[in-house]
Amino acid sequence: MFDESLLSRLLDRALQHGGEYADVFCERRRTVSYRLQDGRVHDATYGVTLGVGVRVVVGESAGFASSDDLSTEALMEAADSAALIARTAPSGKTAAVGLRSESVPKLYDCDSVTAIEGARYAALLERADRTARRYDPRIVAVNAQVVDEMQEVWIANSDGRFVRDCRPLVTLGVQVVATDKKERSSGYVGDGGRTSIAYFDRQTPEMLAEDAARIAIVNLSAIPAPAGEMEMIVGAGGGGVLLHEAVGHGLESDFNRRGTSLYSGRVGERVASELVTIYDDGNLHEERGSLSVDDEGVPGQHKVLVENGVLRGYMQDTLNARLMGAQSTGSGRRQSFRFAPQPRMCNTYMPNGDSTVEEIVASTRRGIFAKSFAGGQVEIAKGDFVFMVGEGYLVENGKITAPLRNATIVGNGPDAMRKVVAVGNDSRLARGHYTCGKGGQSVPVGVGMPTVKISSITVGGTQHE
Amino acid sequence: MNDASALELAGEALKLASAAGAQTAEASVSIARRFHAEARDNAISKLEASTGKALFMRVFRGGRKATLTTSDFSPDGMSEAIRRAVAQADQVAVDEFAGLPDVVATDAVDLALFDSRIADRDGAEKLDDAIKLERLIREADVRVVNSSGSNYTDAIAVTAIANTSGFASVYSWTRAGRSTGPVALDGGVKRIAYYGTAGRYLGDLEAPASVATTAVRRAVDLFGARKPPTMRVPVIFERDVAATFLDDIFAAASAGNVAVDNSWLTERTGTRVGSELVTIVDDGRLVGKLGSSPFDGEGVPTQRTPVFERGTLRTFLYDTYYGRKLGAASTGNSTGGGIGPNNFYLEPGAMSLADLIAATPLGVLVLDTIGFATEHASGTYSRGARGFFIENGELAYPIDEFTVAGQYVDMLANIDSVANDLQFDATVVSPSFRVSELMVSGN
Repeated sequence: MFDESLLSRLLDRALQHGGEYADVFCERRRTVSYRLQDGRVHDATYGVTLGVGVRVVVGESAGFASSDDLSTEALMEAADSAALIARTAPSGKTAAVGLRSESVPKLYDCDSVTAIEGARYAALLERADRTARRYDPRIVAVNAQVVDEMQEVWIANSDGRFVRDCRPLVTLGVQVVATDKKERSSGYVGDGGRTSIAYFDRQTPEMLAEDAARIAIVNLSAIPAPAGEMEMIVGAGGGGVLLHEAVGHGLESDFNRRGTSLYSGRVGERVASELVTIYDDGNLHEERGSLSVDDEGVPGQHKVLVENGVLRGYMQDTLNARLMGAQSTGSGRRQSFRFAPQPRMCNTYMPNGDSTVEEIVASTRRGIFAKSFAGGQVEIAKGDFVFMVGEGYLVENGKITAPLRNATIVGNGPDAMRKVVAVGNDSRLARGHYTCGKGGQSVPVGVGMPTVKISSITVGGTQHE
Repeated sequence: MNDASALELAGEALKLASAAGAQTAEASVSIARRFHAEARDNAISKLEASTGKALFMRVFRGGRKATLTTSDFSPDGMSEAIRRAVAQADQVAVDEFAGLPDVVATDAVDLALFDSRIADRDGAEKLDDAIKLERLIREADVRVVNSSGSNYTDAIAVTAIANTSGFASVYSWTRAGRSTGPVALDGGVKRIAYYGTAGRYLGDLEAPASVATTAVRRAVDLFGARKPPTMRVPVIFERDVAATFLDDIFAAASAGNVAVDNSWLTERTGTRVGSELVTIVDDGRLVGKLGSSPFDGEGVPTQRTPVFERGTLRTFLYDTYYGRKLGAASTGNSTGGGIGPNNFYLEPGAMSLADLIAATPLGVLVLDTIGFATEHASGTYSRGARGFFIENGELAYPIDEFTVAGQYVDMLANIDSVANDLQFDATVVSPSFRVSELMVSGN
């Protein structure tokens, strides 16, 4: 759809006023989705994202323009707009760009979504609905959505690299609402990955719906969360949101190059308990955050971020790596052709430690067991974070006692990481449904974690003794 | 970019939909020219300028609905996408409520949404705007050692909507904003703060000096912040934080959430929920404001809708579909695909924020929160926060790493003072207000 000769002409045009680097990102994405409400398929959506983004880098500055008009004239105009940056910060003129096509490792299959019968999607939703409603008479509403997407990209840069990739992504999400006379509660479970909807033959809609219904019912009898400092156990899998917020964002290279992250200039320093090791991996088979190549054409990598408590490295995109004298780690990502890339996480997780879950629970006198998080946010300069607990329990004298309603956890990244006192042997990736937002751009990511204990954290509930 | 070309594209899309078998259809086309300059260290660090087009469509066949979004306007691409969307409708259940609106806008109201000064603004002047703001934050206080960037953004756009019942209308709008994120060094701790301003008119924006001063104060005033004790106290929400609380109220008042039992406001219409001071309005007709438009995403005229009047919940906010489903008329809140706010705000009171603080013997002032509502069924509010501890009506010391938590219903009922500092610098806005008692969780 986008050929080499057009892309090299665009790169030449982008560098007309000089600049050290230019790239062109072409995208065609097709998205099919179906939504269920009130027991029936309620909406079907077809989406197309098609266009080209052109970027020119001059020193620390970047010019960017995008076009959804694919006429040569409009694309050249976009290249001209991106090139304006070189006028604000003039630099030497570069030689004409010769592109060579490079093959990429394949982490996923590229069968087109457009060939799949609509009835298959509808059946997934109806199965989820039936299962959730059968679970308990107090279930009053089920909302479910399936999304099947195929993104094709063509990426060329002034170093002469030209790569193509296609990236499938499926997601099935089930939200269940339960009510009794007094309370109203909900449970949400989503799953998916970079694969086809055949994925849900194994991870069935019944499994997801039952789990969402279970959480909604558990939360109906939940007691108000306590307020104040206590111990926290973070559950395996979904607990990985903690790593993503408390550490991951602070290790993205744009914040570190600019010195706005609390982790800036601290590679080699101890930043966490020695029990803490954190990886970010773009290479995991069919995972939601995986990328054969990133949005700058660099292959996905396995990165060691923190090893036995010591900070080992940042997640780099091309622009920041150049300025920091480092190599890209395949972390340059963008929401679509309309956005310039940023350094971002792929699948962020902690490998196994050697405690068992039973030991961790038994060692906890008074605390909260956060089995999953419904979301989180961090402020990267000081490292303060919050998490909204999706499914949480009170732990008293080594025993899980009561489910807790809507707890929020607040803390500080390095402080929480120093207070990691036990790491479980049950590390796994969470079900694939997480989306990360940064600078107005959303990208799919994965998270993972073993059961981990943090000796003290502030729980933002309403009950105080 | 002009009005005629947007309308023409919408008309073309309707023809293609009919040809593909849709009985009725609606097409909305937006064309926007967007500009963003970010300055850092006296130089432009990012410059983005693009024109983007998007088509959003709803197609109906035999009582079934499908939707389409595309940025592919090539003749083949457009007809292929429309054909697929119409075909997908076959998998959707017949829904008696699905369809075009009964009432569409016929009045030619001029809401003054377009500022030619923004459209005509010189590129170099826009770059200077960002550079000036960046210089001002660094001059404002020597403790500002870094920045995450100072920004100037603007957009010049047209929105056209047409449907197969003959509605076809278009309006132009502009928007501009400036924002900054200074970083100040508090011993070994980096403190970052953000502040920004936005409006439809360049003249409505806060001046760069005022934006810089507020942003820098938010960073340096927090120096030495510590965790507060865990306690129940009055909590004052400063207006930007108050606006994020209003976002959650909007979500709960949205008929889309009410209809699927996902709102704590379900079954409360006509009942007293908030205090006397709680009058919350959605108004799409305020002249020159960011949330204003002559008609909503399906061509229904916008209106002024009191959602809460002196604490009583009067109505939810509807588009055509959920209005039919719940037996109400659309309130002009369709975004095309869902329900969205126009200008959604809490009516201001008479007191200044300073007086409100002075009238609080013991309490907490919240300047910033992190976190967001993830579910609206149970109605529990809980956020990470930073701000000030208030003693004897004065800001005693800065506090951070704490949470404020409560039930939305209790919070609305316990709003005992509302300040006079409402500004329409976003679509959902609020003056500062005080909740008489909330759980603050720290040490």
